[in-house]
Amino acid sequence: MNDLPEQKETTLSFEKIKKDILRPMQNHKGLELWIAFLVTVISVCAWAYYVQLRDGLGVTGMRDYVSWGLYIANFVFFVAVSLVGMLISSILGLLRIDWITPISRIAEIIAVAFVAVAGLVIIMDMGRPDRVVNVLIHGRFQSPILWDITVVTTYLTISLLLLILPMIPDLAICKNELKKASPFLKRLYNLLSFGYINTPSQYKHLHKMIRTLMVLIVPVGLAIHTVTSWLFAATLRNGWDTTIFGPYFVAGAFVAGSAGLIVAMYFFRVSYKLKDYITDVQFDNMGKLMVAVCLVYLYFNLNEFLVPGYKMKTGDDVHLTELFAGHWAIMFWSSQLLGNVIPIMLLVTKKFRKPFPIMVISLFILAGAWIKRYVIVIPTLLHPHLPIQNVPQNFVHYYPTAIEISVTVLSFALALLIITVLSKIFPVVPICEIAEQKGIEVKIEA
Amino acid sequence: MKNAIKIIASLFLLFAFSATVTMAQKWSAPASAKKKQNPYEASTKNISSGKKIYNINCKSCHGDATMGNMLPLQPVAPSDLGSQAFLMQTDGEIYYKVNKGNGAMPTFEKTLSDEDKWMVITYLRSFDQNKKASKKIAEVINPEVSDVRILLDINKEDKRIIANLSGLTKKGDRVALQGIELSVKVKRNFGYLDISGDDAYTNEKGEVSVQFPKDLPADREGHVNLLVKVTDDAYYGEVIVDRIASLGIPTNPVNPLDERAMWGTRANAPIWIILSYVGGVICIWGVIFLVLFQLIQLPKLAKNKE
Repeated sequence: MNDLPEQKETTLSFEKIKKDILRPMQNHKGLELWIAFLVTVISVCAWAYYVQLRDGLGVTGMRDYVSWGLYIANFVFFVAVSLVGMLISSILGLLRIDWITPISRIAEIIAVAFVAVAGLVIIMDMGRPDRVVNVLIHGRFQSPILWDITVVTTYLTISLLLLILPMIPDLAICKNELKKASPFLKRLYNLLSFGYINTPSQYKHLHKMIRTLMVLIVPVGLAIHTVTSWLFAATLRNGWDTTIFGPYFVAGAFVAGSAGLIVAMYFFRVSYKLKDYITDVQFDNMGKLMVAVCLVYLYFNLNEFLVPGYKMKTGDDVHLTELFAGHWAIMFWSSQLLGNVIPIMLLVTKKFRKPFPIMVISLFILAGAWIKRYVIVIPTLLHPHLPIQNVPQNFVHYYPTAIEISVTVLSFALALLIITVLSKIFPVVPICEIAEQKGIEVKIEA
Repeated sequence: MKNAIKIIASLFLLFAFSATVTMAQKWSAPASAKKKQNPYEASTKNISSGKKIYNINCKSCHGDATMGNMLPLQPVAPSDLGSQAFLMQTDGEIYYKVNKGNGAMPTFEKTLSDEDKWMVITYLRSFDQNKKASKKIAEVINPEVSDVRILLDINKEDKRIIANLSGLTKKGDRVALQGIELSVKVKRNFGYLDISGDDAYTNEKGEVSVQFPKDLPADREGHVNLLVKVTDDAYYGEVIVDRIASLGIPTNPVNPLDERAMWGTRANAPIWIILSYVGGVICIWGVIFLVLFQLIQLPKLAKNKE
């Protein structure tokens, strides 16, 4: 840690921490404008979804060959980003790594927002969303679809609990401090603070629960992305029929999730003026973590493409040639280079781990991660093992329609709206944990 | 406009030229091949089996012999193999051409046995007006009959099927029909299995005796669907009789959906996968509910000041 830049030593008191963190929740003009903007975007795009609901999935570019299009690529992307909650607040939390304290709640908010929208994206991909219950009523235990719907709801529940439980002391503070909050919020703080006044037995009891959930979310988090990968890997199709898809998706999820977290950290630091809490240390360490997860992902990519590319067995050859040098080459190589190789090369140097450069790099990684999902889902579907004779031209090509793109924008706007609303009503940086870490006494009035 | 005329004119020339080219490449067999003789006699049986082979291998392009309903292929349509112009050739010449193929005509050197090829030639030769007289000698002439029937007699112990073909003469007598080929078939999953054997021609009693295979699996009761017909509809129209007989080996057909398997319905999911799923859900959600239960107790602990 000696090579880190000297931090400005500011004397932090409990009052100052409270004031700094609670201020953006009470008075932030830009935030309201941003929410208004997102709501407008969502309303406009909801019309596109209405058209899809009214006219059926024929309004999308999906046909008999490509029956999983943009939506499923989005779904995989959302699930991937949501995994950051498990990586940061559970794995690193259980390892008692202290620099994650100020950013663990942002990670958990991202997890909740993205996994909730991931579930919605699946429903948006259905022509008859009213039949979603049939998956539970008639779902086969042998089908990854049933596991997926189970594990997504489970992960959402645990992530919500892991967002709320560590926040209970902070919510008790909110209840006392935010006198001007709306009656609804007051009631919410009152309800969710569970009468917490930081007695030693309450503290012990609460932390036992949190630790239990932290352990519990590790297998569930692994399961959510492994099962998502099994939706593909449980078929015999070229490009999906691979044994490493589970860990490959998890590794990719850590990359996408970390990038998402870094971008969110940057915007909260700037917009919420939290430079004293989300410091360069966090960005520097996230940069190092990013290099580590990117290297793991790169290793999986090598295995995933080099080994079949060396053999070029029948079926794989068409798929891989299309990816390496064919129709998908630009997307494939930009996702590999901009989303993985170049970020590794840049982030090993310290100056690129400064907040702004790493945020820009993370945007590229996020874009690369999204393109990577698109390239996983669609090219395989375009080359069926049993092609239909004399198919219409629109079966053998896939271009998302304006409706699909609008619904995609809707889902992204929805995820951002959930993050924004959660960060508007809840403190984004854990007040009590920061105070504890700095050795400041935490006082919560009854 | 002038251009269009030029184009049409040149196209016309091109066609005329290509026609002469085709004509120029007349297909002929070497002299040695022409001399080859058909070793098989022109019996009814050989002609009939030749017709079967013809229908499977030749008819799709050449159409019915003498009917001129061949495929209209370009530039050269297949010949009508029953036409006198074709039958001018020697047996050896036809044999050579069947073996070698030319253009769209494939080679049958490997795909048909020598016997089959000669049978086809025997069949085609039966349309040759010049040679017809010499062939009728061997044929049995059945009287003109109506109401042709097949009677089946099935011996379950020996698994032997005896089919009797008879018809009603003008005088009203039922007489046996001789030398007619019958097809004896068994219905399987995808179509019929022909069990007639090589020599399914009715004898002087109008009978064909066929041994049912000893190892043919059937349904639970051993029932099989038998179908016996006069092979060539040209004689008496379609004469068919079908019968359900318990000649096969009784088997218990397995429905793959009945067993517990990955591909089964939900009720037939493998036990281990149900246990893993239900167990996993109970464990994880059990812990979640435990935590929720503890959470409710949190307010009470506020009074406990220790």
